Amino acid sequence: MRTWKKGVCTVLKTIAIPLIVWIFFEIADRAVTGMGVINTSADVKMLLRNLISSYAFAMAINANLGAGRMDLSVGSQMYVGVIFGGTLAVNFGLGGMGMLVLSMILGGLCGMLVGIIFVNFRILPMILGIGMTLVFECLSFGVNNQQGVTIYGKGGFEVLSDVTFVTGVILVLLLLATIIYEYSVYGYKLKAIQGNQGLAHNSGINIYLNCIVCYLLAGIMASLAGVFETAFKGSLPPVLGMGSNSVVFNNFFPMMLGAWIGTFSHNQTLGILMGSLSVRIMMIGMSRLHVGTTTQNIIVYVLLLLFVIFNTNKGKIAYNRLKRKRIAEAKRMRMSGAV
Amino acid sequence: MNRKTSVSEKDERKVKLGIRDRISMLKNKRAFSLIFPFVILLFIIVLFSILTKGRFFTANVFKGIFNQSLIVGTLAIGMTFVFTTGDVDFSVGNVMGLAAAVGALHYQTSQNIVSTIILTILSGILLMLCNYTLSVALHIKSAMVAIIGLTLYASITQQIVGAETLKVDYNLCRSLDNGGFRYISFILFFGLCLVVYYLTPVGRQLRFIGGNSECARQTGINITRVRCIGFLLAGLGIGLAGVYQIIRTGSVSNSVGNGMGMDVMLATVLGGMSIFGGAKSNAYSGFTGALTICALNQGLLMIGVSSMLIQGVRGVIFLILVVLNSERAVTLPSRQQF
Repeated sequence: MRTWKKGVCTVLKTIAIPLIVWIFFEIADRAVTGMGVINTSADVKMLLRNLISSYAFAMAINANLGAGRMDLSVGSQMYVGVIFGGTLAVNFGLGGMGMLVLSMILGGLCGMLVGIIFVNFRILPMILGIGMTLVFECLSFGVNNQQGVTIYGKGGFEVLSDVTFVTGVILVLLLLATIIYEYSVYGYKLKAIQGNQGLAHNSGINIYLNCIVCYLLAGIMASLAGVFETAFKGSLPPVLGMGSNSVVFNNFFPMMLGAWIGTFSHNQTLGILMGSLSVRIMMIGMSRLHVGTTTQNIIVYVLLLLFVIFNTNKGKIAYNRLKRKRIAEAKRMRMSGAV
Repeated sequence: MNRKTSVSEKDERKVKLGIRDRISMLKNKRAFSLIFPFVILLFIIVLFSILTKGRFFTANVFKGIFNQSLIVGTLAIGMTFVFTTGDVDFSVGNVMGLAAAVGALHYQTSQNIVSTIILTILSGILLMLCNYTLSVALHIKSAMVAIIGLTLYASITQQIVGAETLKVDYNLCRSLDNGGFRYISFILFFGLCLVVYYLTPVGRQLRFIGGNSECARQTGINITRVRCIGFLLAGLGIGLAGVYQIIRTGSVSNSVGNGMGMDVMLATVLGGMSIFGGAKSNAYSGFTGALTICALNQGLLMIGVSSMLIQGVRGVIFLILVVLNSERAVTLPSRQQF
């Protein structure tokens, strides 16, 4: 009975944030515009498309961040994977599925390359990320006369916009990532490394191989996100001057919020999905209220700031609450003459 | 007998030291980190002078390189005071962009260039104080503050500037430039930074905090106050760079400062300093690095390398230099920044 109650409580905590966000914007949107957040099938389609790219990219960032590695090159890995994979798929008529598979393979290879360089030369991850971003952006810029990849109007790519397919990919990603991070040997070792790298190394865990796999998974998931982002926009123009980093920074809020939600269910993968869903609902809700993109960004990042302030200082808040309680208890005892 | 023993010990030590050990010893010497960036800069100048048959080695080219590196260099010099303590802040480009936007907006209403310059510098200082409050008073990791700040400041700049660019009288900007405002203010700022960094207790304390903050705290250093001074000086540099940005083109666009934070980190590392600070930090590293990047860009352009390839080449050279200049960690380097 207690286990059942605990399970229900965990589920409620996990879905609480997206639910609260949806209810808030449903009321606000209906009050201002007379329409809810999700009204038509097109709205569902838009939510799912945004959700898959945000979710996969947040997962890609989280792949290395937990182990204390901030990989700034993950955005550029996405550009290389999608532009090269997409170009091959368009030229050989492989369609949406072909583009997805090729992009993931190429993105994974880029990630693996960064991982191998990191393990061998042991440059600080952030510094290595900057250097690799410069190289990868240059590579992706050189393809197709610097035009990137365009799939708009090309046959065979409709599957990437299909609601059933997108939902399937989200579920498969959730399932696979849960198995990999929560129930596999790799995930178990990763948790040990996240706890203490030195101890994990001394206890016989191959931290180098685990690190390369982290980078590989990050590249794969970033490319997956990039493919759906490209399908949504119709094309992916290349960038230079470390512009690919903006993708990394834009997906930080879903990742941070998701990591926090994940602490309730002890499943970060599910938490990040809920975090991404919350942020996406918020974005759609604000669009309904005719809030401009720039203002949306300001609101979202102020919220992120408030969330980070709370998350960083929650221990202090709890400590102060306990201290106040103790003082009140002492005062009460003194008044009653117990001491 | 004793003499014989000491000689044989010496020989034994000589035998044990391989090339790798010797390179490692060389890298760990203080003089190496001081000289290495200048050697690289000199090497680039000599290499491109040969490759361009002397066209690179002219006063005009050097002046161009200096002018190009002025904004990133000023930002990097200021940021040295933040990087030294181990704080990583790459929102600096967007902080500069917002400060410049505030200044340009003020000019449009007041038409007063003096108050515009003062307001731009003050904006830079205030924004860095905001970053300081978040990372020191509210205990948020500086990299996290940078990520939030980067997007937040960029969005606020876009909101202020809008779709158009904010114009400042171009002739006035030219006259300021021709009057040597940029050079004089830069020299004064650079001089101030060198004095504070090397000749005052604040500079020494900053390096101490970067080396081991806990040890610094236990020796009685007021870490909060010293870091605040570091952020204030960084803000001064950012504000000054914002003024240079306005003067350079006489306008401020909504994308001003985007990506410049990464350029500052790139310049700092190329200048021979770790962005995670420490005792080996140098006040001039950022500017030397900015000069190196600009010289490399200019040289590659002059030998006919396309602008697209320049970025790739820059990335490869950057990584090679980082490998050459850093000590290989025993296990994987990681740092809990979030």
